[in-house]
Amino acid sequence: MKARSRKDVRRDQIVGVMVFLIIWEVSARLLDNSLILPPISAILAALWELIITGQLIVALSQSILLLIAGLIVATTIGFVLGALIARSRTAYWMLNPYLSALFVTPTIALVPLVLVWFGFGFPGRVTVVVLAAVVPILFSVASGLRDSPGDLIDVARSFGVKGEIALLFKVRIRAALPVLLAGLRLAAGRGVVGMAVAETYLRLGGIGGLIKSYGAMFQTDYVFASILPLSLLGIGIVSLIGRAERRLHWT
Amino acid sequence: MKDTVLDIPAIELKGIRKTFTLSEDRDAKTVLALDGVDLKIRQGEFLTIIGPSGCGKTTLLRIIASLILPDEGEVIVEGEPVREPGIKRAMVFQTFGLFPWKSVIDNVIFPLMVRKFDAAEAREIAMKHIRQVGLDKFVDAYPHQLSGGMQQRVGLARALSTGADILLMDEPFGAIDAQTRELMQEELMKICQQEQKTVVFITHDLDEAVLLADRVLLMSRGPGRVREVIDVDLPRPRFDYDVRGHETFVKVRAHLWHELRNDLVEQRAEETS
Ligand SMILES: Nc1ncnc2c1ncn2[C@@H]1O[C@H](COP(=O)(O)OP(=O)(O)OP(=O)(O)O)[C@@H](O)[C@H]1O
Ligand SMILES: [Mg+2]
Repeated sequence: MKARSRKDVRRDQIVGVMVFLIIWEVSARLLDNSLILPPISAILAALWELIITGQLIVALSQSILLLIAGLIVATTIGFVLGALIARSRTAYWMLNPYLSALFVTPTIALVPLVLVWFGFGFPGRVTVVVLAAVVPILFSVASGLRDSPGDLIDVARSFGVKGEIALLFKVRIRAALPVLLAGLRLAAGRGVVGMAVAETYLRLGGIGGLIKSYGAMFQTDYVFASILPLSLLGIGIVSLIGRAERRLHWT
Repeated sequence: MKDTVLDIPAIELKGIRKTFTLSEDRDAKTVLALDGVDLKIRQGEFLTIIGPSGCGKTTLLRIIASLILPDEGEVIVEGEPVREPGIKRAMVFQTFGLFPWKSVIDNVIFPLMVRKFDAAEAREIAMKHIRQVGLDKFVDAYPHQLSGGMQQRVGLARALSTGADILLMDEPFGAIDAQTRELMQEELMKICQQEQKTVVFITHDLDEAVLLADRVLLMSRGPGRVREVIDVDLPRPRFDYDVRGHETFVKVRAHLWHELRNDLVEQRAEETS
């Protein structure tokens, strides 16, 4: 295939969305059952309603707060354990089975345990996000720091950088940044899933809470109107990190 | 000024021994990399080191730079025993060792920033050496935008910016194409002569070893020892006449090749028996 210009890609995307929306609208009219498939117009009306009543902004800010808190905790834990694993083979072999298990276990399966251990309030919800997001961060820190170029460590030391801490910040982390950001991007995607799980399976709140409560009332148009900002949030945060990655122009 | 202390060697190595352990196991194999190296390197001298692959050249240079410590023996720099890297020694790396996320100027300025120089002063010093290696147009470029030869110029400018009297170079032109290499050899000789640097220069290239050197140190195949130190009595500057045709050049080169070849032949014989 020929390489496509940015403009062409944009055009394709817009056409794709239009076609999708038209098919949706037509089939919704034909089906004429707004419980199963509400028409686009009804969803937009519901979205507008959510916006002007302020429900959406409240829900969105709760969700973002939860997501950011979760990602910060996950990054902190990921860094400490990741650095440990990078430095010590023993730590790696001791922790690896649990981390792999955690990586493949759906976060939702752990919700009952989180409920018992951390309650259904904010700590519990943050814990769910952390469980979802921590492993990719941890592994990227571990591999990023392990593979850090020995040559550059020599360079830094020979020109007067002293001590492991200074080397960590001046060289190792900086050199590993592309890998770290890739891990963070993956973690953010999983964190959004964890966030939605936490908001629907613990105490209701945020966007997840909106979806769940409108779902329970069979107001499908409002359900769709709430899913949309959730997806946009996910896409937004992931592409933000992607943009930061692309700015590391040395690779 | 320098003349008053000229009798103190720039670098003195006393009985350097170094053993490496090959893995983390307790009963792991060990490699004796350097087996008692004694050497005096004079101030302002250009010393090249040549020897079979794996004979411990890099190890020796890393010990001189205090990047690693010897198991036994001492490194003495301008009369002072040293145990960590210092401002009097600067390294140039075979793989250039540039930070890919830093621009040319930020790479060159790095040693000065680490040593807490005033930013404006540091920039001025760095710029001077970037000009000296002819990269003024690439001050804000990033390493991946430069050719290998240009990258090594940055590496050289960085080493010069430290103001160190001693340059430690591990096959600095090994990864650079032949024509660029010749040019850089010439430039390096010019700079070192102007600034009276003491240079320890590792190479695999016989011509390069003889061309640049005041003395050539020939190491014997592992465990590394000093096999021979040879004076190269060729007039300087060496690039404005046909050095390679000079009688001394031919003689020294032939001698080195003979010795190196013997070493390799012996090794092959031991391996096959
Ligand atoms: N960090 C290390 N750990 C284990 N062994 C090492 C280490 N560094 C060097 N060695 C061993 O010490 C010996 C000398 O290595 P060194 O790199 O100094 O050789 P060299 O003369 O520079 O070789 P080359 O010409 O190929 O660059 C080799 O046998 C090498 O395997
Ligand atoms: Mg080497």
